[in-house]
Amino acid sequence: MNRVAMALWNPIVAKEYRSRMRTWRSPVAMTVYILLLGGLGWAIFSSMSSSARSGFNGGQAANYGQALFLFLVIFQMVLLAFITPALTAGAISSERERQTIDLLFVTKLPSFSILWGKLLASMSFVLLLLLLSVPIFSLVFLFGGIELDQVVAAFIVTAVGALTLGVIGIACSTAFRRTLAATVAAYGAAFILLAGSLLYGLLFPTPIDPNATNAPAPPAVSYVSPLLPLITIGTSQPVTWYGIGSGFSSGGGGGMMCSGTPGGAQQCVPTNANGVVVGKGIASPIYRNPPQATGTTIPSGLFAGWQYWQATVTLQLLISLAALVFSAVLIPPTRHLPWARRTRAAGGAR
Amino acid sequence: MIRVQGLTKVYGSRTALDAVSFEVPKGEIFGFVGPNGAGKTTTLRILAALLEPTGGRAFVDGADVIQHPDLVHDRLGYMPDFFGVYDQLTATEYLDFYAACYRIPRARRKKIAADLLELVGLADRRDQSVDTLSRGLKQRLCLARALVHDPAVLLLDEPASGLDPRARVEMREILKELQRMGKTIVISSHILPELTELCTMVGIIDQGRMRATGPVQDVIRQLTSGRRLRIMVLGQRDEAVATLKTLPSIRTVDMINGAIEAEYEGDDATAASILQALTAASIRVSGFSQLDGGLEDAFLKATSEDVG
Repeated sequence: MNRVAMALWNPIVAKEYRSRMRTWRSPVAMTVYILLLGGLGWAIFSSMSSSARSGFNGGQAANYGQALFLFLVIFQMVLLAFITPALTAGAISSERERQTIDLLFVTKLPSFSILWGKLLASMSFVLLLLLLSVPIFSLVFLFGGIELDQVVAAFIVTAVGALTLGVIGIACSTAFRRTLAATVAAYGAAFILLAGSLLYGLLFPTPIDPNATNAPAPPAVSYVSPLLPLITIGTSQPVTWYGIGSGFSSGGGGGMMCSGTPGGAQQCVPTNANGVVVGKGIASPIYRNPPQATGTTIPSGLFAGWQYWQATVTLQLLISLAALVFSAVLIPPTRHLPWARRTRAAGGAR
Repeated sequence: MIRVQGLTKVYGSRTALDAVSFEVPKGEIFGFVGPNGAGKTTTLRILAALLEPTGGRAFVDGADVIQHPDLVHDRLGYMPDFFGVYDQLTATEYLDFYAACYRIPRARRKKIAADLLELVGLADRRDQSVDTLSRGLKQRLCLARALVHDPAVLLLDEPASGLDPRARVEMREILKELQRMGKTIVISSHILPELTELCTMVGIIDQGRMRATGPVQDVIRQLTSGRRLRIMVLGQRDEAVATLKTLPSIRTVDMINGAIEAEYEGDDATAASILQALTAASIRVSGFSQLDGGLEDAFLKATSEDVG
């Protein structure tokens, strides 16, 4: 038990906290973060309140609340995608550059503890930023339209998204000797994670199968992006506008949220039901059970029956695990792989 | 305490270490001398279990550096040839951090940090930020860091590089104090004078090969085959040279700055008989002294073989 506790809470964490919070960079980063997020919230809020001055019924307020929430969670995720790689991409490589990493390797600290300590320290800062944003998100409840469980789910997705970016940053930092290269690679990975996976859905959308009994869902690769579940959580609507059918080219006319896409197979809005043909000559397929892509569960595919955010969190945790294992294998100065040791022992035997 | 057997390290096509072997008994100060790029740092990094050798074995206090790096790290303090300090930490916090990395309980860390700062003469700087310390003070702090877990063996890579003479003297005093405490110390350097006074043993390495190793005097004797005499005479210089050349113990005779320098084979008695031979030839000798062949000569001899 004690060993586990030592591995989880190690001197690196305490040292990182000290040196991080003693610079002016951290308070500045926090201030800028809050100003950006709060500024966006305030801008949306004031534009809404001016447009709602004439009349303001409950339904409208809920829509405003949803829109505000959606903007804030997506903006927060994008902000963190800029901040997190910067926090972690230098974690190991800067120790290498300062040549302090050898000094850590000669101590009794396992090399995994170095990784873990760095990760924990930078993720704590991200968590701090998330906590700081809570008051801004409480603004949403002035309007309503968003339940607490939606906020919690959105924060889980955001936190896990940041964690994934953080672990990938650490992995880049371990793989590249130079911080600059590691930073570039970490931002590249962040971009792929957030936008690249969505692009995949646009390029290779799930084809519409006229005989399917379930409504089509975007390809599983696109769930890697935290933006998709954040939109689902924020709108409480199924994904019908993305990653399905002939996709981008003709889907442009499909509108943003939940209007019919070509093929008309997705009835996310009840009024749209049964064969609204928008596509170019594609007849509306006739279903025995018209697929009801209602609610925010994934209607079909690998993660059928899951919530989008659950699929995203699972995929991201898997990516994080892989990146962590990759870093742990890469970091030690001398590798003690079981097979290598065996051959050496055999060779060394006199 | 330290045993190195046939250590070899190959980087691609370059052989950094070629079957290096030496031993350092407990309590000795071993000077590891060689020009830059000779393989000193590579050897020390292998001893600190930071680098895997291509071949050969190394033991620190009986622990194999390849099989049991954890045991090696327990027994060894390593000070690399750079400072390795973190910003934003005070000297005390710096030592406390490394003590924690060595799993020293919190209760003991405070005292250890205070004692070590006292030892290296930084007690009055304990709350100063590490990155504002001068080069010499940083070096001392790094020495203190290498000592936090009270290791039996200390590996110091170029501890005197970049230090002013005063800081060097202070560093030397600290090392002597550590020797009195019973620590085995390995110091690598390409600067010889400070090692001559400090070390009890020396190993000379060049281009990855061990040229000589053993107690300082042995190595000097081993490498400088002959001893040198400086002889001053009044006039009669040519006669003196001619007389010297007839003696069987004399190997070479040179004129250096108006004095005769002769290399001879033998001991003090031989030197006395050389003087007798000169006076017997009625040469008026005004000066006659043995030149001390130091580590520096031995080093230059050992490392110039391949060059010359």
